[in-house]
Amino acid sequence: MWRIFRSELLKLRKSHITLLVFVSPLLASLLALLESVQEEAFPWHQLLATMALLHGLLFLPLLAGVFAAFICRYEHAGGGWKQIFVLPVSRTGVYVVKFGLVMGLLLACQLLFLGGLLGVGMLKGIEAPVPWDMLGRSLLGGWVACAPLAALQLAVSTAWSSFAAPLALNVIFTLPNILVINSEKFGPWYPWGQPVLAMLSGAQDGFGAFLVPPETLLIVIAGGFALFFAGGLLYFRRKAM
Amino acid sequence: MIARVMAAEWLKIRKKPIWFLAVIGPAGVVGLQAANFGLRYDYLVKQYEDDLWGGLIGNVHYLAVPALLLGLALVASMLASLEHQTNAWKQTLALPVTRFAVFTAKFAILLVVLAVSCTLLAVGTAALGAGLGFGYAFPAGELLTASYLPFVAAMPFMALQIWMSVTLSNQAVPLTVGIAGTILSLYSVRMSDWFPWKWPYLINEWNDPLVSAGAGLAAGFLLYAAGLVHFARRDVK
Repeated sequence: MWRIFRSELLKLRKSHITLLVFVSPLLASLLALLESVQEEAFPWHQLLATMALLHGLLFLPLLAGVFAAFICRYEHAGGGWKQIFVLPVSRTGVYVVKFGLVMGLLLACQLLFLGGLLGVGMLKGIEAPVPWDMLGRSLLGGWVACAPLAALQLAVSTAWSSFAAPLALNVIFTLPNILVINSEKFGPWYPWGQPVLAMLSGAQDGFGAFLVPPETLLIVIAGGFALFFAGGLLYFRRKAM
Repeated sequence: MIARVMAAEWLKIRKKPIWFLAVIGPAGVVGLQAANFGLRYDYLVKQYEDDLWGGLIGNVHYLAVPALLLGLALVASMLASLEHQTNAWKQTLALPVTRFAVFTAKFAILLVVLAVSCTLLAVGTAALGAGLGFGYAFPAGELLTASYLPFVAAMPFMALQIWMSVTLSNQAVPLTVGIAGTILSLYSVRMSDWFPWKWPYLINEWNDPLVSAGAGLAAGFLLYAAGLVHFARRDVK
């Protein structure tokens, strides 16, 4: 497994994917910097709410799709799947490692986001102590909430050779986020809306689906992840390459 | 010649889900607004009491802009994907066609697909309004403005995405730029008028949607020309 991971990392080197990791944290930080400073009782909460809405509502689910499609690019171009499977590696191993890489890239994104958040807070001169507990829960929650999505996107990306097709699917289901998160009933069940819900629950006075308790969200996320990952893996193991 | 190159381009994208996207985009936007209005009918009807159709069209427009911006990035990428996947740029350009024709045909197909999409959006919006019981006297001018002018105002992005999709073999880059632009556009309403991502919303200080559309048309043409010049001179792999 470790060796597959190393070879996957090699494939990623010199590709521009590291640049994509920076886009969202950078934009979110810029927007937060432009936002006027208000006297707030909880300045960090306010800052997180502003930035996480931009980051989590559309960027995070869409980036999960971009990363998943990217990870499969080398194999789809130039018959790489055949080449990789004549090597003594198991399909399960390759699939798990690829999923791990997608999650790793998303984690890097979250960490950069945290860096951006702290940076903006310092530049704006927020004096209140940093609420590590709340920030950690929010960022980790948003990351975990991406898991079902990443699993689904990886399944589609391995199945379709086109780069844009899995992304099209992702876009079709991510756009409704703008409306779906307003609904307390449907919001938590919607895999594409879960990242923003997980990031913002507890960060602000809730409305709509933000009122859903984190435990419920976690159960739905775990269920969705198990379903998509198992389905994708089963398909991948049987697929004719 | 452009017509014949376009015919060849249609063949290349025949099996790609481009028309599916062109239909699902407007259908999704209208469907979501149907759900929105269906679930909170009383509240929304009360809110837009004076101008039911205006409220509906405004809501559809608000959701259609991100769909348009993301959709055009995806379609632009699909239009260029065949050559990238099979390393066929050399082959395409070795044929007796000018680079001008190849680039223009791809751009023209993007325009056609999106124009069809916008037409479906207008029809769908009218049908939704009638279905919600807003009467049949829909404000045609307002509906056409909200359906077609964002398309004109988004022309710089079409030119940009086509250029990037054709030039860069790594499609993650143009698609990420498209995604970032879409998200920027959601926040652009507060920015100043020169900001191109604001144009598709047709909001400006003169209160005239034609200003936004005109700016889009001019910038779109400039970017198309710049992309064309670059494509005509570059060395393909």
